[in-house]
Amino acid sequence: MVRMRATLAVLAVVLAAGCSAPGSDSEDAGSDSGPIKIAVVDAQSGQLSSLGAWELKGARLAVDEWNAQGGVNGRQIQLDVFDDQGDPTIGTNLARKIDSEGYIAMIGTAESAVTIAMAPLLKQAEIPNITSGQSPGLVATKSEFLFLNGPTSTTYDETLAKHIVDQEGIKSIAMITNNGGYGKGEHDAFLKALRSRGVTPLADQVVTADQKDFSAVLTSIRQKNPKVIFLGAEEVESGLIVKQARDLGITATFAGAAPQGTPVFIDTAGAKNAEGAIVSSPYLSNDIDEASKKFAAAYKAKFNEEAELHGAKAYDGTQILLTALKTSNVASGKQLADAIRATKHDGLLGDFAFDETGVGIFETSIGVIKGGKLVAAES
Amino acid sequence: MRTKLLVGAALAVVAWFLPYGLDSYAIHVVNVILIFAILAVGLGLVMGIAGQVNLSQVAFFGVGAYATAILTTHAGLGFWVSGLLAIAATVLIGIVIGTPALRVQSHYLGIVTLGLALAFTNWVTNAEVAGGAEGISGIPSPELPGVDLSSEYLYYYLELIVFAVALAFGLFVVRTALGRRMRAMRDDALAAGALGAEVPMLRMTAFMLASVYGGLAGVLYAGLIRYVAPESFNIANMFLLLAMVIIGGRQSLIGCVVGAISLALVREMLVDHPTIAQLAYGSVVVLVVVFAPTGLAGLPRRARAYLDHRRGARGTAAQLGAFQPYEPAASASGDELLAVQGVSKQFRGLKALDDVSLTVAAGEIRGIVGPNGSGKTTLFNVISGLYKPTRGRVVFRGTDMTGRAPYRLARAGMARTFQNLRLFGDLTVEENLLVALDRSRTLSAWRYLLRPLNVLRRDRALRRSATDVLHRYGLTQFASLAPKSLPYGIQRRVEIARAVAADPALLLLDEPAAGLNGEEVRQLAEIVRSIRDSGRTVIIIEHNMGLVMSLCEQITVLAGGRVIAEGTPSHVAGHPAVIEAYLGDTGEFEGATR
Repeated sequence: MVRMRATLAVLAVVLAAGCSAPGSDSEDAGSDSGPIKIAVVDAQSGQLSSLGAWELKGARLAVDEWNAQGGVNGRQIQLDVFDDQGDPTIGTNLARKIDSEGYIAMIGTAESAVTIAMAPLLKQAEIPNITSGQSPGLVATKSEFLFLNGPTSTTYDETLAKHIVDQEGIKSIAMITNNGGYGKGEHDAFLKALRSRGVTPLADQVVTADQKDFSAVLTSIRQKNPKVIFLGAEEVESGLIVKQARDLGITATFAGAAPQGTPVFIDTAGAKNAEGAIVSSPYLSNDIDEASKKFAAAYKAKFNEEAELHGAKAYDGTQILLTALKTSNVASGKQLADAIRATKHDGLLGDFAFDETGVGIFETSIGVIKGGKLVAAES
Repeated sequence: MRTKLLVGAALAVVAWFLPYGLDSYAIHVVNVILIFAILAVGLGLVMGIAGQVNLSQVAFFGVGAYATAILTTHAGLGFWVSGLLAIAATVLIGIVIGTPALRVQSHYLGIVTLGLALAFTNWVTNAEVAGGAEGISGIPSPELPGVDLSSEYLYYYLELIVFAVALAFGLFVVRTALGRRMRAMRDDALAAGALGAEVPMLRMTAFMLASVYGGLAGVLYAGLIRYVAPESFNIANMFLLLAMVIIGGRQSLIGCVVGAISLALVREMLVDHPTIAQLAYGSVVVLVVVFAPTGLAGLPRRARAYLDHRRGARGTAAQLGAFQPYEPAASASGDELLAVQGVSKQFRGLKALDDVSLTVAAGEIRGIVGPNGSGKTTLFNVISGLYKPTRGRVVFRGTDMTGRAPYRLARAGMARTFQNLRLFGDLTVEENLLVALDRSRTLSAWRYLLRPLNVLRRDRALRRSATDVLHRYGLTQFASLAPKSLPYGIQRRVEIARAVAADPALLLLDEPAAGLNGEEVRQLAEIVRSIRDSGRTVIIIEHNMGLVMSLCEQITVLAGGRVIAEGTPSHVAGHPAVIEAYLGDTGEFEGATR
């Protein structure tokens, strides 16, 4: 009987409590003393961990440079890394986590889908986010707290199509893309850029993301005899395609976005085979100008490895964030987002000037592989 | 029972108050964990309970989430309508993905379902309607009058209710007829079929159940995250789910939930330490698999067994009771019950049966004897539908049943035991009997949704009959024990009790006296006679000639796959062909006497 009454009492409390909704979301992030907390969210494990590692190094380098000069307004910057494993679900967990732990801004992620998943939560929490993603879907989230540290993939392919079709006057073009996330995006963007110029590709071949033998695809392309073959695949796969194409006697020029400018691509394909490849990238190489040379040297000194595009992008993004923190007197939330938007930055990737979509760079450079090195194309 | 209820009630109260103590980050994590717990319960049902290796649970999850996303954003439907349609779509996909289970099992099935899961992520990455690699964003949050479900705190209650209902339904299935039949199929699909379980139908039902849970979780995911992308449903998550089920203990749904919660928490704790995350995560999985193979859910039982062992005392051992004979029933004897007509069975080069014909009259006890390798068990397998004869017909109760699936024959009134015992190892003795007693069709599982009380009532009636059977065979004290723990003779008796519990007109006993001592053989004869007197027909394969001679009215002798003699025990015993078959070549025999 006693137990019965106790149960009833508990039930009554439950019901009463059930009427008032739980949750008090009022604790605020920005405190005025102590270090400034910035989160790096990126895949540190799983398939995309190499991107995550590069991005972390770029951000770390920028932060260490600022800290060495006394931080922002005399406050040190604390950079903490969180592993999203390339999974959007974990991304949303982390968005809540950095909010509740008082981080005022976020660098990352390198994976567009994860960033898109996090965007609404970060917008709600008013945490500005500078991502390395380049998908047009990022812009479509319409979050005023989301910024891109590079051009969108549309820009890469638009610039490339402009160079090939408009400037070189080549219309005999074939495409090979893979059916992974990156390849599919490249496929759609480049095809769109061609169509808008009234060009139909001679061939539009799709391979799988882990394919190793491309002879069937390449043989069918050889019959069409295109002048340029567009590659929409990651570094190693692109390199393999080029190597096998040359073995089959295909002499066409290859063209592609950032992966086709990397040393990994050139090594896989062989310097001789990759010769003449046209690359559309905002960051052609480490010795394109003084700024990139200085960045590459610092990167090499700190991490003992060669700098590359992703590190450079994260470095630029972090520089912009820190500059905005300085100009806004360590503001947070909406004010910080506005400060980022207002920041004009002469970075490694070009001159950043953000518009309302959060994109700051609207063009890429065209490079050509010569003697195993990527150099700027003379136009 | 009472403590269980109290623990359950305490957990419910804790779950209800949980959000009051959590910040927005923790509540989000809890929401995600609940979704994974629902998925794990579904996977536990199909893999742990029904024994079907299913590596496409994450695809079910994805179909549910994507269908909700597409229907709300592209078709402009409301969230709830979309959710229902999404679950329906998932069930359809579940049936498609389950189809291979009709043909392949175990690791082959794993590979097929894994392939289908990969095909799903590949398809959504490339399909226009699924938004490609960018996925679909802007899914509206579900609306409920008066409740703001866009608040994750209130969404928690929605999830909690769905989860509680889903778990309760899962437990309900496991503890009643359908789940018992699935577990029987998992332990021994052949024996389950021979007892009338429609194995193909059951496998499809298992996949369907798993897909419902996958779909539910997918809909909740779409409502919570409001964004879907291919990466959310990748193979890494499939293996996470698998690990949850294995760590928790796959044969217990509660275990699956515990596994889901603990692994998700481990994963969450490790996001701060990316450098050691993979290593620590892998170690946890390996440690559990090595040191707690039955999972976390199996730990209390193992601990109890260990303590009992340490104490030494095992209480009083269970005693086998006496067999209570059946009430004799007037049997319509004389009519032909079974006719085997010119049956041959060829295994590649080997002719196991060669033009065997025999008829068995209702009410008879027929003995089938013959030297080893003479084709006795093959004949049983042909009669009970496990083998399809190369030639010839099997007519049972006037209907041609040649090549019918075992479960159809079982439903037509045939039951059998096996030469090397095929009891359902992970079911108790009582549950073994319950599987046989349950004569309902698997199709009638719709009652689980629409008339759950009816299911409960039937289950209670079944348990009452099981108690009767246990009592009749003197097995009452063994009711809750695992068959494997029993002495051989008792296992034999359980198998006979199980076969008779299926209420057959024809009972096939394959060497029931093998391994029994003299007293047990005497009891066996008594049991078989009583079974016959209750109006059933019995065919018995036996090597114990004393038993056959005293028990059977008619004996068929097989040698080299042919019937060499048939008749009364005394007729057969004096038949020259029989003597030849048992004692070897007559020429040699004569030579030896000369």
